[in-house]
Amino acid sequence: MEEVLIEAICNILGVHSSEINEDTNFVEDLGADSLDLYQIVMEVEEGLGIEVDAESIAKVSTYGEALEMLQEYE
Amino acid sequence: MSKLTTIAIDAMGGDNAPQAIVQGAIEALKENENVKIVLVGTKEPVDAELAKYSYDKDRVEVVYTTEEIDMGDHPVQAIRQKKDSSMVVAMKMLKEGTVDAMISAGSSGALLAGGQLVVGRVKGVERAPFAPILPTETGATLLIDSGANVDASPSHLVQYAKMGDIYFQCTMGRKPSIGIVNIGLEEEKGNKLVKDTFPLLKECKDINFVGSVEAREIPAGAVDVAVCDAFTGNVIVKLYEGMGKTLLRMIKAGLMTTFKSKIGALLVKDSLKNTLKQFDAAEHGGAPMLGLNGLLIKTHGNSSHMEIKNAVKQCLGCIEQGITEKMKAAFANNVEE
Repeated sequence: MEEVLIEAICNILGVHSSEINEDTNFVEDLGADSLDLYQIVMEVEEGLGIEVDAESIAKVSTYGEALEMLQEYE
Repeated sequence: MSKLTTIAIDAMGGDNAPQAIVQGAIEALKENENVKIVLVGTKEPVDAELAKYSYDKDRVEVVYTTEEIDMGDHPVQAIRQKKDSSMVVAMKMLKEGTVDAMISAGSSGALLAGGQLVVGRVKGVERAPFAPILPTETGATLLIDSGANVDASPSHLVQYAKMGDIYFQCTMGRKPSIGIVNIGLEEEKGNKLVKDTFPLLKECKDINFVGSVEAREIPAGAVDVAVCDAFTGNVIVKLYEGMGKTLLRMIKAGLMTTFKSKIGALLVKDSLKNTLKQFDAAEHGGAPMLGLNGLLIKTHGNSSHMEIKNAVKQCLGCIEQGITEKMKAAFANNVEE
């Protein structure tokens, strides 16, 4: 799951995986907007065949939180 | 016959769907022999509208869907949940390359969300802006951004200028003059965003940046492309539309006040109509959402058949010029830098 999430983040935000750690904030550190976050989650959904609740996505602000949220759907 | 350009039209989007949408599509088909239309929408109403017309059936395809995105739907949730809606299905076709372009008069918010979530941005493009064409005294001005990103950064505005440069050249066939919307002409004027963006635009040697433009100069056609954040752009568009309607209403009322003015109205009617036609936004088609992996055109929510027909023509011009490929090439270079 981590690999899929990191790949999606790098692909959509055009960043390198070395820039991402547990505390990395999508908006403040990676310059993402709310739609970027949805786009990342949708790419992960497609890759893993899961469907994430929109309310859960809205609560996510860091990579660690995103990973934790996705693990609940695994 | 040369290769057909295939355009998906969201048949259920807008206040006048599917009547105006289907009518506009059929009219476009008759005016352009190199186009194929894919109507995406609910079976019964779309079939019923199509049955009213005779047309080349080889150049019309209907893709049936079971859901519709309403104006009141939450944009992101609608895109994620209504997967068999006319808008989402058309967007997926655009993403997959089964169509060359897409037109919708549906919810702006859903189109913005779907444009990014389903179609996706060109690599290197930070934000995808809406770029409506404002009719002006000298022709038309492209206003970027009119509603996509209210909190833009200087690098976003620089990218808007570059996208506007490409789009304008594709549609108008010449290099545009580009201005940044400001509250004065001097470089030191403006808010932080404008002051920070101005020197960056000056440094762009590949565009014809002419400096600041005040909103009052836009209707006169002071610049070909006006760049701003979406908050400013949206205020300009709404004021433009509102002012136009109010002036027209007042002129009409004034002309009807006395017998003499009524005679005058009769005499100027044709000239006035021709002038007003120049200021009809529907004549120019819709607003492209720039920087996506496919050409997406948003027309007004209350689009008439004429606006849909003109949007098809607009798509054909852009596709012929290879607009998406040009955007990809321009921003691929940016990424490499």
